[in-house]
Amino acid sequence: MGVIERFGMPKPVSWLLNWGRRYSLWLYQFGLACCAIELMAAAGPRFDMMRFGIIPLPASPRQADLMIVAGTVTDKMAPAVRRLYEQMPDPKYVISMGSCANCGGPYWDSYSVTKGVDQIIPVDVYVPGCPPRPEALMEGIVLLQKKIQNENLQEKWKERAEQPV
Amino acid sequence: MPSNPSDTADLQGTLFAYAEHVADVLDAEPVVVRHGTIKAHVPRDSWIDALTKARDDLGLIFFSWLSAIDWSNKVEVGDPPTEEVDERFEILCTVGDLSEGKRITLSTEVSKDEPTMPSATGVYRGANWHERETFEMFGIDFVGHPDLKKLYLVDGFEGNPLRKSFPLLSREVKPWPGTVDVEAMPSTENPEA
Amino acid sequence: MDHEAMMALSEVAVSLELETPEMTLNIGPQHPSTHGVLRLVAQVDGERVRDIKPVIGYMHRGYEKISEVRTYPQITALINRLDWVAGYANEIPFIVGAERLMELEVPDRAQYIRLILAEMARIASHLVFCGSYPLELGAGTPLFFALRERERVLDLMESVTGGRFHLNFNRLGGVKPAAGAGSNTRKDIQDLPKGFYEGSREAMGRVLAVCDELDQLISGNEILFARTKGVGVMTPEQAAAYGVSGPNLRGSGVAFDLRKVEHYLPYDKLDFNVVTRQAGDCFARYEVRVDEIRESAKMVVQAIDSIPSGPLQAKVPKIIKVPKGETYMRAENPKGEMGYYIVSEGGTGPYRLKIRTASFSNISVLSELMEGVLIPDIVAIMGSFDFVLGEVDR
Repeated sequence: MGVIERFGMPKPVSWLLNWGRRYSLWLYQFGLACCAIELMAAAGPRFDMMRFGIIPLPASPRQADLMIVAGTVTDKMAPAVRRLYEQMPDPKYVISMGSCANCGGPYWDSYSVTKGVDQIIPVDVYVPGCPPRPEALMEGIVLLQKKIQNENLQEKWKERAEQPV
Repeated sequence: MPSNPSDTADLQGTLFAYAEHVADVLDAEPVVVRHGTIKAHVPRDSWIDALTKARDDLGLIFFSWLSAIDWSNKVEVGDPPTEEVDERFEILCTVGDLSEGKRITLSTEVSKDEPTMPSATGVYRGANWHERETFEMFGIDFVGHPDLKKLYLVDGFEGNPLRKSFPLLSREVKPWPGTVDVEAMPSTENPEA
Repeated sequence: MDHEAMMALSEVAVSLELETPEMTLNIGPQHPSTHGVLRLVAQVDGERVRDIKPVIGYMHRGYEKISEVRTYPQITALINRLDWVAGYANEIPFIVGAERLMELEVPDRAQYIRLILAEMARIASHLVFCGSYPLELGAGTPLFFALRERERVLDLMESVTGGRFHLNFNRLGGVKPAAGAGSNTRKDIQDLPKGFYEGSREAMGRVLAVCDELDQLISGNEILFARTKGVGVMTPEQAAAYGVSGPNLRGSGVAFDLRKVEHYLPYDKLDFNVVTRQAGDCFARYEVRVDEIRESAKMVVQAIDSIPSGPLQAKVPKIIKVPKGETYMRAENPKGEMGYYIVSEGGTGPYRLKIRTASFSNISVLSELMEGVLIPDIVAIMGSFDFVLGEVDR
């Protein structure tokens, strides 16, 4: 890791690493609420998410690299979300699915709801909807894949070294 | 066939007859029958007695729910009551049977200065969680409950959310422009109305 | 070391009376088998559970408080998210209760449409159960069969309402005109879309076929029997004391169905059986749900065959104020008895709305049922109760 941070990588190598990473995302099963049912439908037979390479669905955060926060995050659950995010090894990505995870959603005035999961963890892609259709979620995943394609590993790891999450 | 069968004379008749029977057995006063619901009021000291009689004599063994209403003239959220009301907590408990679908709602009152109630867990075991929820939402103390502690809220939460004096802070910061939406949505309202 | 030496050593251990302290095992709130964010704190002694306490509240969104500042149509949109697998069924007791307070007469056609959509919601909910319960017990295939048929049912609901499971299709006094219709649309096509009747008959035929497929796949499986028969037996007395309702109650032999006794939709015009099983264990609850899918599919076909024509909504003013009063209205949801106690003070929203959900009472009985079971049985018992955390925590 030190080598890449200091000297960077030639373009073909970084393209290859990004290609490997974006087409083999391991999705961590973290469905909280109604959006989890749409997540399940997206992984189901009609809207097959697995053709994007998102298999298997590990149950442990230690083996995952993509976390889709699907559902409302309450104040009681927020420390658990944070701890699970920290348990994931680098490089990791977060998709915030549904309006509850984006900004609090229909429960914006409730006394026990966290207004958006980006108050706790950094989010890469936001998928709006209540709940977003499985096709919308898949577009979100494709956007994330494009984002990974354009990633510059040297910058990303230098940033992490300076400001740990 | 009427659209709302509970308003036919037939069913109303049986409901009224049952309501009288309930008033006799439970010694409750008043017993109101409206909109298909029988509501029987008992004083606080005979709460446990009334629940026991409902379970044993009336055969209402199914415990549906237990909760409270905060009657208050000054409210932080929503609209206040249209007429002046006595400030109190009204405790409601619905029990039913498992054969014919009869159900009654028992109600009693506690004052706001001294909100304590005897616990119904001796009569219906299911009252356990419902009383815990009422305790944390309203601050009503249930005497005799085996494990009265918070159910839903985080440990450091201050206040009793369902009291009318508990404000919703997000609304204080930015009230929702929802009143604008009460005007007709363009194409889905009844044009003759 | 070889076998004899090991046996000798274990005999020494037993004779020494080693102390085996109890361990506190924390399951959840994030766990693949807990149906959401439920946390169980279990005191285990080896593999046996001594005491188990559910800790809930990780999905508490404060429904009852935020309902006090919303109008009735807004609340209708919000309460779909309580039992989030069968969205439409949550609206029905609330709307019927509010209509009772207003003393509105709902047109027959609207009631039949509500019934059809409610039964489709029940089929969708039970199919999710039939798919995910075997997954928790180790069988991965039924999930895809069940989800495939569920997609067909969701397609039908989407063709009518525009939403897959959070429908928000009720209006005070009836139902909305079908998806995409406006006040300028001709009255005859504001209604159920073309192809809905044939599409529903076909889909219900497929649903009945998938119930038979599931029976062939797993209902005779020995492993399923070993894990669910005799496990988590609930007596009717326990069920009544805790308020357990729905298929869980009927799995213990009590033939009580609110669709027969509480007159909120025209169920008395249709012919259906109340499905019960006597055993009271996990397998009985599973079988009750599979049979209920069959009954619901037949009900949908009967309702489509006998649906009357007429208006879709009673005449109501633009800004609806519900007159002063209180009522408790309950309905048979897929998970059990769901009810709303509406206290109205004559405004556009309720003064107090108490939501009685099925899953809250259903899982309060868990700590009694799980004493002395093995750890894998926890998953089997929990899954057979088919609860959703949105209902538990509200």
